[in-house]
Amino acid sequence: MPSTRVHEALVVENRDAGRGYYRIVLRAPALAAQARPGHFVMLRVSENRDPLLARPFGIASVRSARDLDLYYRVVGRGTALLTAVKKGAELAVHGPLGNGFPAPAKGEMPLLVAGGSGFPPLLFFAAQHGIRARLFAGSRDKACLPPAAAMQAFRAMVQAVHYATEDGSRGTCGFVTDALAAYLARPAGGPRRPVIYACGPHPMLAAVSSLAADRGVTCYVSVEERMACGLGVCMGCSVAVKAGGYRRVCKEGPVFDAREIDWGTGRTGR
Amino acid sequence: MAMRTTKRPDLSVDFAGIRLKNPVLTASGTFGYGEEYREIVDLNRLGGVIVKGVSFKPITGNPPPRIWETPSGMLNAIGLENPGVEVFLREKLPYLRQFDTAVIVNVFGYSLEDYVAVTERLDGVPGIAGLEVNISCPNVKAGGIVFGTNVMSSFELLSTLRKKTKLPLIAKLSPNVTDIAEFARAAADAGCDGLSLVNTLLGMAIDVRSRKPRLANCTGGLSGPAIRPVAVRMVWQAARAVRLPIIGMGGIMTAEDALEFVLAGASAVAVGTANFVEPAATLAVIDGIEAFLAQEGVASLRELVGQVRTS
Repeated sequence: MPSTRVHEALVVENRDAGRGYYRIVLRAPALAAQARPGHFVMLRVSENRDPLLARPFGIASVRSARDLDLYYRVVGRGTALLTAVKKGAELAVHGPLGNGFPAPAKGEMPLLVAGGSGFPPLLFFAAQHGIRARLFAGSRDKACLPPAAAMQAFRAMVQAVHYATEDGSRGTCGFVTDALAAYLARPAGGPRRPVIYACGPHPMLAAVSSLAADRGVTCYVSVEERMACGLGVCMGCSVAVKAGGYRRVCKEGPVFDAREIDWGTGRTGR
Repeated sequence: MAMRTTKRPDLSVDFAGIRLKNPVLTASGTFGYGEEYREIVDLNRLGGVIVKGVSFKPITGNPPPRIWETPSGMLNAIGLENPGVEVFLREKLPYLRQFDTAVIVNVFGYSLEDYVAVTERLDGVPGIAGLEVNISCPNVKAGGIVFGTNVMSSFELLSTLRKKTKLPLIAKLSPNVTDIAEFARAAADAGCDGLSLVNTLLGMAIDVRSRKPRLANCTGGLSGPAIRPVAVRMVWQAARAVRLPIIGMGGIMTAEDALEFVLAGASAVAVGTANFVEPAATLAVIDGIEAFLAQEGVASLRELVGQVRTS
């Protein structure tokens, strides 16, 4: 478990990254030193009381052992306010939080599956374990794919990138699970065992998990959920598990073995 | 301006026989069992910790979504998820006992028998300074009416629990009533030693596109700065109705917020939702109160309790 503290982070950069995303770079060396792929942070978007809560963001990368890269999509009032934060400002951030992705074992081939705005933690994963990895990026259409800078970084780090768009405007036409299924169905191309690492909206994670179960492939999912504290206290971010009861996304997660989650209970989409 | 003496203001409080080194506590359900804040808040600095609600048996809680952000506040319907009193005693209390801070255990149940069972189990346990009774639960046996919004059921529940424990008993009142004074008096008549108020205000939010409630439970408890004026008003009304000491809470983010409650009649305060937003909020509130007293030349916080100038 990383040591969780509250940091005053200096905003080094906060700019439009295209396709509806911003990239914010925060200088927080003590936090950056402990960050691992799959960790997230809670970021206060303003010092005001409204909006009140900090927002969770998956860490996309750590630079020079002191800066954190985060990508955010402007989806509501909180993220809209965040776009107005200027370089040189300070923001309260706490973290790193969560359990993070397990590192792939020797002889495993990570298949990264990114849906919607779920790509940032996979970017961090690719930076450390990308050499034998493949990325499957899915979205509604090509305008909703991860921003160009993120895709460029992925291409530099992973072995291959597969696109899937629901309207066919980029890559395979259909869901990202279709592209993943087609890849898993290919004749075995080597001795490496595929392991899936997925991050994205709940319905996509449910579909990827079901595909992985059918093919007997190990699958780790990084779950997105609304949360108030990120510290395991508010109990707001719980997901149902097959063993009965709930697990906190912020504490026991956000990364779970897909077989643990009870995909049928609770939310079915947002 | 004359220089103030350098003597530090006295922040200590004797709350219903519980000695608090300062008036700042953590509101139940917003600070876990303390350990979650291990690296952020030195528990030795807090007046006390009111732990997350404990029931006799474990409770798994409500399906998600469980929270929704609202203007300057949030709704929650967690469903009182907790591991039950035995796990609390075995795994949570030992951690808290290491610190020099008052541990107040919040208890609840879905029937009178549940409340009695958890109260009896905690009576006489070393390291527990007092019990805070959450009376805002639906009474399953009485068809789901909420104990805390019916004066007679509140009185019956609290007077029964009074006979089951020698620990200071603090009734946590619901704000979802027309006349808070009536409930404050019922708690006093039942033999309670203090009051906590307020619990969350019942609220609801709807997604207009899907036409679904934002919470799976449909309704939830509203907390945060949005409810503070309501809470301050209720503390003021309760303080005028009874002589019991009061822990004031509801949207406290800063020392100034806390001082409003003190002036309204609270002897102590609890920081709640702020713990989510600014994990070290309690410490800033303590420091801020001390600085305020020094600046105003007030020797002891006790001098300010109930001192709102209404005329």
